[in-house]
Amino acid sequence: MCWRSTGRLTPAHRARRLPADTPKRPDPEALLAAANKAGRGRLKVFLGMAPGVGKTYEMLRAARRRKAEGKDVVIGLVETHGRRETESLLRDMEVMPRKPIDHRERVVMEFDLDAALARRPKLLLVDEYAHANAAGSRHPKRWQDVEELLAAGIDVWTTLNVQHLESLVDVVQRITGVRQRETVPDNALSRADAIEVIDITPDELRERMAAGKVYVPETARLASENFFKIENLTALRELALRRAAQTVDDQLVATMREKGVEGPWAAGERILVLVSGDAMAGGLVRTGRRLSDMMMDAPWTVAHVDRPDRPPPGPAGAARASDALKLAEQLGGSTIVLTGADVVATVMAYARRNNVTQIVIGKSADSRWRELLGKSLAPALLREARGAAIHVVTEAAHEAVVEPPRPRSPAPWMGYLTGAGFVAIASLFAWGLDIAFDRVDLGMIFLAAVLAAGVLHGLRPALAAATVAFLVYNYLFLEPRHSFAIGSPIDLLTLVVFWAVALASGGLAGRVRDQGRDAQRRASAVSALLAASRVFSAAAGREAAARAIAEQAAAAAGGKAVVLLSHNGELESAAGAPSLDALDATPMAAARWAWEKGEPAGFGTGTLPQARWTFWPLDGVRSRAGVAGIEAGAMVPGSDTERLVLALLGQGAVALERAELATEAVETETLRRADRFRSALLNSISHDLRTPLSTVLGASSTLIDYGKTLKAAVRDDLILSIREEAERLNRYVGNLLDMTRLEGGALRLRTDWTDVRDVLGAAAERVTRRLGERQLVRDYPGQLSLVRVDGGLLEQAIVNILENAIAYSPSGARIEMAAYEDRANVVISIEDEGRGIPATELEGVFEKFRRMEEPSDRSQGAGLGLSIAKGFIDAMGGRIAAASPIHDGKGTRMLISLPKAVVTPHHLL
Amino acid sequence: MSISRPRILVIDDEPQIHRFLGPALDAAGYEPLRADAGQEGLRGIALWSPDAVVLDLGLPDMDGKDVLIRAREFYEGPILILSARDREAEKIQALDNGANDYLEKPFGVGELLARLRAALRQRASARAPAGPIRSGDVEIDLDKRRVTRGGAVVKVSPKEYDLLARLALGHGRLLTHKDLLVAVWGAAHATDTQYLRVFIGQLRQKLEDDPAQPKIIETEPGVGYRFISD
Repeated sequence: MCWRSTGRLTPAHRARRLPADTPKRPDPEALLAAANKAGRGRLKVFLGMAPGVGKTYEMLRAARRRKAEGKDVVIGLVETHGRRETESLLRDMEVMPRKPIDHRERVVMEFDLDAALARRPKLLLVDEYAHANAAGSRHPKRWQDVEELLAAGIDVWTTLNVQHLESLVDVVQRITGVRQRETVPDNALSRADAIEVIDITPDELRERMAAGKVYVPETARLASENFFKIENLTALRELALRRAAQTVDDQLVATMREKGVEGPWAAGERILVLVSGDAMAGGLVRTGRRLSDMMMDAPWTVAHVDRPDRPPPGPAGAARASDALKLAEQLGGSTIVLTGADVVATVMAYARRNNVTQIVIGKSADSRWRELLGKSLAPALLREARGAAIHVVTEAAHEAVVEPPRPRSPAPWMGYLTGAGFVAIASLFAWGLDIAFDRVDLGMIFLAAVLAAGVLHGLRPALAAATVAFLVYNYLFLEPRHSFAIGSPIDLLTLVVFWAVALASGGLAGRVRDQGRDAQRRASAVSALLAASRVFSAAAGREAAARAIAEQAAAAAGGKAVVLLSHNGELESAAGAPSLDALDATPMAAARWAWEKGEPAGFGTGTLPQARWTFWPLDGVRSRAGVAGIEAGAMVPGSDTERLVLALLGQGAVALERAELATEAVETETLRRADRFRSALLNSISHDLRTPLSTVLGASSTLIDYGKTLKAAVRDDLILSIREEAERLNRYVGNLLDMTRLEGGALRLRTDWTDVRDVLGAAAERVTRRLGERQLVRDYPGQLSLVRVDGGLLEQAIVNILENAIAYSPSGARIEMAAYEDRANVVISIEDEGRGIPATELEGVFEKFRRMEEPSDRSQGAGLGLSIAKGFIDAMGGRIAAASPIHDGKGTRMLISLPKAVVTPHHLL
Repeated sequence: MSISRPRILVIDDEPQIHRFLGPALDAAGYEPLRADAGQEGLRGIALWSPDAVVLDLGLPDMDGKDVLIRAREFYEGPILILSARDREAEKIQALDNGANDYLEKPFGVGELLARLRAALRQRASARAPAGPIRSGDVEIDLDKRRVTRGGAVVKVSPKEYDLLARLALGHGRLLTHKDLLVAVWGAAHATDTQYLRVFIGQLRQKLEDDPAQPKIIETEPGVGYRFISD
C-alpha cells in the first residue's frame, strides 16, 4: 500500500483554526445525532484483547457497585464458564432465566430478549457482544438484540474481544491464523457511549492460562496454542488499546462538533473504494474502513460500477458485490452504484464531483493479461487521477474463491457443426470455381464462410471454422496442392487474416447478442413495470390493490407472494399469489417487524432470517400502507429480478395508498351528504314550526298592543290568521307524529270494506278552505268495487297528496281527482297543473323532508306529506307512484292503486 | 297618511308576516311598505328610499345576505335582520356586512318596534352635532377624551377609552366582536374575543352600578355588545 501523507494537524494548526472569541455554530449533524441518542439507553463495552483477561469479572464487579448504590441492575446473560470467582459475583443479583431454543435437535439456552424488554431494568448486563444467536432467534446476532434494547431506552453493559471486530477480521487472521466467525460491525462499537479496556500484560494472561483460569472454547482448542503466543497477544493488545483510543478520539471529535468547536476533523479527506464482483470485494471494504479510521473518520464510500455494455456477472459475482455494499453499510460507509461503460471515466467523474482524495482498488491475479494490454484499471486511474492517492490492494491467496462455471449457451457443438458446414460449402463452391475458371482468388470464399460462422455463432466456432477453412484451403488450393505444407510465407498471412476476421466478427456478434439479451431483459422489466402500473391504477379499493400487488410480485419473482394489510391495528394477510396461504408464526413475526420498523425482515435480512419468507414494508408517499412478502428461494438477493420486484412493490405501495385515500374520500363524501341531509332536515323542521309561530306571536302581540286602534276588518283578519296558522302548526305536528308512528312501527290498521269515493269526498272536504281560487274536479264512475283498507289512513294520504297539489299549483288552476278500477285494483288518480317534477327528482319525491325548491304557497309544511302518504299506502298493501310532466311539460299525476283481493295480514305491517 | 310618517320597508316572502306586520306598523305610526322577494326589495329601497328596512334572510330568489350587501352600496338607513335562532353565524355575518340589528323569529311586535325606534334614533343622533354621549349618570366627552360618572372623572386606560368610544358612537347599535376588535386592536386580532371580555369587564367595573347586571354595556351572547345611550 502507499498513501499520500495526510498527517493530523499539529496544535499550532489548531490554534490558528480556532479564532479566540467567535462562538462557532454547532454542527447540525452532530446535534441531530445527539438528539437521536436522547431517548436511547447508554451502551458500555468492556473491551479486551483475548479471552481470559477478566472482562466479565470486571463488568460484574462494577454492576454490583451500581446495585449497592440502589440502581435497578439485572443480569440478562453472563457466561461464567464455571469460573468460581466470577460465579460468586452473581450472588444476590437478579439473573434472568434463559430461553430454550431448539437448534439442530439439541436445545440451546439463549438470551431472552422479549423477557428483558418486558422487565425493562435501568441497566442490563449482556455478555459476549459478538455472539451469534441460535437459528430461530429474532436476530441472528446478539449485537442486534442489544441494539433493540438500547432503542427501548435500556442501558446495556456488554463484553467484547477485539478480534471480533468486523474491520479487524483479516488483520487478526494474519496475526493469529484464526478466522473469526462471530463478528461485530465496527458501528456497533462506535455507538458505545463508554468503552472500558480490561488490560493485563500478555505474560500475566499466559500465567492465568497455565493456572487453568482461562476458559477456551472447544472449537478453538486446536488453534489456542497458536493463538495465545506472546507475540500474538501483544499484537492483539495493541489493537485493543488502539481501537479504544480511537473511539475516545471519535467521541472527543463528536463532542467538539456538537459544541461548535472547530477542530482537526475531516481534514478534507474523502475515500472511495471500488469493488467488483470478485473475491476481493470484502477485503477492499475493510481496507477502506481502516483507512477512514486512520484519517480521523474521513467519510468513505464504496462504489460498484455497473457496465451496461457488458453481460452481467454471474449470480455469484452479483451476490458478492451486493454483499460488499452491505458490509460497507454495516461498517459505517456509504455506498453507491455507478453506471457507465468506461470504468475509469465514470469513476473519475464521480471522484471529481465528490472531491475524493483517496481511491482504493483491488488488483486480482487474473488481470495480468489486461495489464499487458494496457487495460488494467490501476495504471489507467493513475494516469487520470489528479490529486487523488490510489491504494492498490493485492489479492490474498487464501481469499480466492472458486467461481462456479457460467452457464453456456445451449448446445455449443451446434455452432462448430454449422461452421464446418459453411467451410464444406465454401470448399465445394471454390472447387467448382477452380475448375471453371483459371486463377481465381479462392481465399475470399473461405473468408466468407468464417465470417458467417462468426456472425451466427460467436467467437469460438468462428476461430474453429477459420482454422479448418485455412487447412482445407491450404490442402486443396494452395501450392503445393494436396499437402498441408505451406508454400510461401505469404500464405501464413491468409491464416492470420482468417483468424482476425473470426476474432472481429465472432467477438462483435457475441457482444451484439449479449447486448440484445440485455436490452431484452431490460425491456421486459420495463414492460413488466408498465403492465403492473396499469393493473395497479385499475385496482379499485384496498383489497383489489393488494391482490394486484401480490399477483404482480409473484409473477415477477417467479414464486409465492403475499400482501399483508393492517386491519383494526392488526396485520392480516390480505392477498396472496398464486394462492393465499396462512403464514406460520415466524414469518408472521417477520412481517410484523417489517410493518413496525419499516425495514425488510425475514429470509436474507438481519431480522428473523430463519423465516422462509422475506418481507418488505410497503411505504407510500404519506404513510406505510402494508407489508409484502416473497417466499425464499424465488429470487437471488441483489439480482435484477429482486430489483424489479422491489420497484414493483414501490409502485404497489403508492397504488395501495391511493386506493386507501380514495376509500377515505368516498367515506368523507358519504358523511358530507349525511350532514347535508341532517341540516336540510333541521332547516325544514325549524322553518315549518317557526313560521306559523311567528305569525301567531306577531298577530296576537299586534292585537294586544294596538287592538283598540285597528279597524274591525283588520282585527278580524289578524284573529283569522292566528287560527289558520295554529291549524297549520297542528297539521305539521300531526304529520310528524304520523311519521314517527310509521317509523316506530306503532301503526295499527283498522281495515274494513271501504268505498273509495266516500274517502275521496271526505278528503276533498278537508282541503276546501285551502283551495282558494283553485278548482277541484271529481270524476268517479257510478259503480266501484269496495276495497279492504283503513279509511282513516287512506283519507290522510289523499289529503296529503291534495295539499301537495295545492301548494304547487298556481291560483286558478285545476286539480283533478278521479277513481276507476281495472281487473285487480281500484286506482285513484290526482292530477295538478303545477310546474311538475323534474325527471331527476321523480324517484326521490316520496323521501322524507324532500321539498322542491319553491312551492307557490308555502303554507304547506311540505317535505313530509308525500312520504307519509306512501308509508300509509304501503302499509295497506297498495302502491303509489308519481308521473310528471303529464301535459305541455307541466303537471303531476299521483296514482294510488289498491288491490281488490283480500289483504293478507302479513302485508299489514 | 301624512307625509311625516317614517316609511318602513318589510322584505319577507311569508305573506303571513306581512299580514300582521302591516297593520302593526300602521298602528304604531309608520307607513308600511311591502316586498315579497330580494329583487323586489332592492327595487323598493332604491325607489322609495324608506327610513328603515326590515329584511328576512331567507328569501326565495336570492340570499338575504346578498340583498344586504347590495343595499349597502347605495342605502345608508338602518336595516334590521329577521333570522332564525339556529343561524348564529349568518347573523354575525349580516351585522359585519352593515346590518344595524337583528331579531330572532318568532318575535313579538313590541320588540320589533323598540328595535326600530332605536335604529331610527341612532340615525338621528349620528347626524346631530357631536357632543357628550350620556347613559344614566355616565357621560363620555369625545372631544376631551374624558369619561365622567356622576360628575367625577373615571380613570380609563387608552384602550379602554377607545373601546368605550367605539361602543358609544354606535348609539345603541349592536357592534359585533369582530367590528370592535378590528377597530381597537387591529385586523390581526379580529378573533381574540378574550380581549373584549377582559376590557368590557373592566369598563363595567368602573361604570356600572351593578357590573353583574349591566345597564350601559349590554351583551348579545356570541354576537357582540351594544351601548345603551339615553
